Amino acid sequence: MAVIGAFCISVNQEACLNAQMPGKCATCAEVCPHGVYALDLASGAMHIQNYNACVGCRICAEFCPADAIRINPAESEYLSRYPWTLAAVEEVHAKAQTGEYLLRGFGTQGPTPNFDTITVVPSQIASAAPRDKYREECDLEVIIGADTCSQPLRLKLPFVWAAMSFGALSQEAKQALAIGAALTGIATNTGEGGLVPAEAWLARGYADEARAHKQWDPGGYLVIQWSTGRWGVSADYVNAGDAVEVKIGQGAKPGMGGHLLGSKVTEAVSRVRGVPVGSDALSPCRYYDVQTPEDMRRMVAFLRDVTDYRVPILFKLGPSRPYADVAACIEAGADAISIDGLVGGTGCSPDIVTQGVGIPTIACLPPAVQALKDYGVHRQVKLIALGGLRNGLDAFKALAMGADAVGFGSAAEIAMGCRACYACHKGNCPYGITSQKPELRARLDPLAAGQKLANFIHACAEEVKILTMLSGHRAIADLSTEDLRALDMNTAALTGLKLAGYERPLPIWEALAPVGRQGNGHTASERRSGSRGARPKTRRKPPLPSLN
Amino acid sequence: MKTIDAKHKDLRAVNQALRASLNGEPVTVRHAAHVHGLAAGLKQGQVEIAGDAGDYLGVLNAGATLHVQRNAGQYLADNMTAGTVIVDGDAGYGAGQYCYGGTVVVRGDAGDFTATMNKGAVILVAGDVGDEAGTYMLKGDLVIVGDAGANFANYLIRGTVYIGGAWRSLGHNTRVEPLTEADLAKLRGYFEQYGLTADPARFQKVVAASPKPFYN
Repeated sequence: MAVIGAFCISVNQEACLNAQMPGKCATCAEVCPHGVYALDLASGAMHIQNYNACVGCRICAEFCPADAIRINPAESEYLSRYPWTLAAVEEVHAKAQTGEYLLRGFGTQGPTPNFDTITVVPSQIASAAPRDKYREECDLEVIIGADTCSQPLRLKLPFVWAAMSFGALSQEAKQALAIGAALTGIATNTGEGGLVPAEAWLARGYADEARAHKQWDPGGYLVIQWSTGRWGVSADYVNAGDAVEVKIGQGAKPGMGGHLLGSKVTEAVSRVRGVPVGSDALSPCRYYDVQTPEDMRRMVAFLRDVTDYRVPILFKLGPSRPYADVAACIEAGADAISIDGLVGGTGCSPDIVTQGVGIPTIACLPPAVQALKDYGVHRQVKLIALGGLRNGLDAFKALAMGADAVGFGSAAEIAMGCRACYACHKGNCPYGITSQKPELRARLDPLAAGQKLANFIHACAEEVKILTMLSGHRAIADLSTEDLRALDMNTAALTGLKLAGYERPLPIWEALAPVGRQGNGHTASERRSGSRGARPKTRRKPPLPSLN
Repeated sequence: MKTIDAKHKDLRAVNQALRASLNGEPVTVRHAAHVHGLAAGLKQGQVEIAGDAGDYLGVLNAGATLHVQRNAGQYLADNMTAGTVIVDGDAGYGAGQYCYGGTVVVRGDAGDFTATMNKGAVILVAGDVGDEAGTYMLKGDLVIVGDAGANFANYLIRGTVYIGGAWRSLGHNTRVEPLTEADLAKLRGYFEQYGLTADPARFQKVVAASPKPFYN
């Protein structure tokens, strides 16, 4: 359910240019993605026509040339009117008028279990001494596919851009993500909308197609997404990247395919995807050419073959049954598995699916890690955590829970200037990030936005480094759940982390843990010896019952 | 003609041998029924498959000509962008899915979900097809000389489906139109080119009722 009627809009009439001279300015009406403001064409006067539509993004305040607008949270009516809050009433009215379910862009709104109720445990006297962030090294590099392909993906920092398609994003935003990746040595991802030509060379750090001179160091990587719609996919496309990602699902709408509204299917998007201009591009929810796990193994095999066993094969999962799904990806031959939690972003999705379907990221990670451990491939098959991560603190917590890298999607859009107005699907993004309209796209400078993205990644990397070193570690690969504590019972129950103060996992986790393994996934002998156990050389099937 | 015996060889070994052998001369592959993804992503060449072929034959084909002397498995010519794939026998589930271009000819029958999400290829089936043939087609031609199963041409967006026999049920967003002279000439051309015996005049044409059938 959208946040409706939760914000008070106040306009300083003395400062407002329109109030002083009607017709002089209509900026707020032009930029508001939700039609809160309206211009009276006869008088030229501006007025607020729909207070309830405001989602508090404050785009109007940012664009107002007179700094005349203030948006403040309204007093919560949640408790006094629940369950028939204004939001619920408005939703019923909208459906009664149109007969259509609601769509939304960007992602989940409202509170969901997240990393905020997990705290980092610093090193003191009883554990390995903290390391000096200013004078000592910290290894943040992540290598994907070291044992399986001739050109493994060597991320300089433990981050990737989440898959976001051309169509959902503008060409300029795609280019900015590629430049941001090139400046930081991380990977950008085509998403399922085919390849924006410049992406391939910009991501590697070259400013031109000829790749004569490297413009940006250290140079990044391009992940090619292979998805259920197969938009713009060919042998050349598959070979254009440094990795191939097989998309099974995504956090915002697991169990559904991509959804690009017709208003964003322009001539350029139509050329890549093959759908008529103005017609919705609806990806299938599953692969038409995969019916069994054996088919999935064969798909991975031919993808390796077509790419000449050069690049790693990644899988991307929505948040469903993390243990079983990760196990299936391992069986299929994945080199890395991205798991996208409930709060993962989207260009467009049915409102109820984004809001009410899937498992929070913090609850996806423990079973996903357990599956990797049961197969003996944790830290070998890489785990990438996605879904609502906002900064280096969230990233550190995901890494300590067992992920090898994290992905930023919504945060990347915000780094480019987005203010989270939850209207990506409408195609009117005032920052030109999720719009295909030329006049709006012109507002986004790929070079400037690419630099902002790089700055964001560098800041997050420093944050991860600080936390890794104050926890007494030399490398992110050494992090473990012992570096975290849950701050409340719910989080301890969802994650299996030790509860702060109680200093043990909740008893339900001890009962559920497979025989011989306790909450942190280490065997009793490993805990006694202080060893984390030798890494098996080959993948093996789990000998023990699964968590789900 | 060079020959590769695929017996006891895996996908990597067979395809590497195939790529190394394709230098203008046709290549025959024997005992390839267990190889899934044979001739994946080839840009040129002529490959003769003696006997049956496995699944995903010619996946991502980008220009090669493949000929199967007997039957092909599932997902024939999956995601092909150019080239020709001809099967003298039957093809399994999902022949010609996700193709952007090229031609697929099945002289026998084809399974369910034939030509699903076809985006520009010509797909000819001399026999019958199963259910859901032509689902979510966006471009190209699907020609079926025999009958089709249920939900035929479901969610057709663009492209044209021609059928010589009957269908069990027609899918969403479809409209049956009379053949034009151009259609007849096109069908006659296809049949002549690939040696199919069928009378174009008895065919029906199915097109999309609307190019925008979805929630907008």
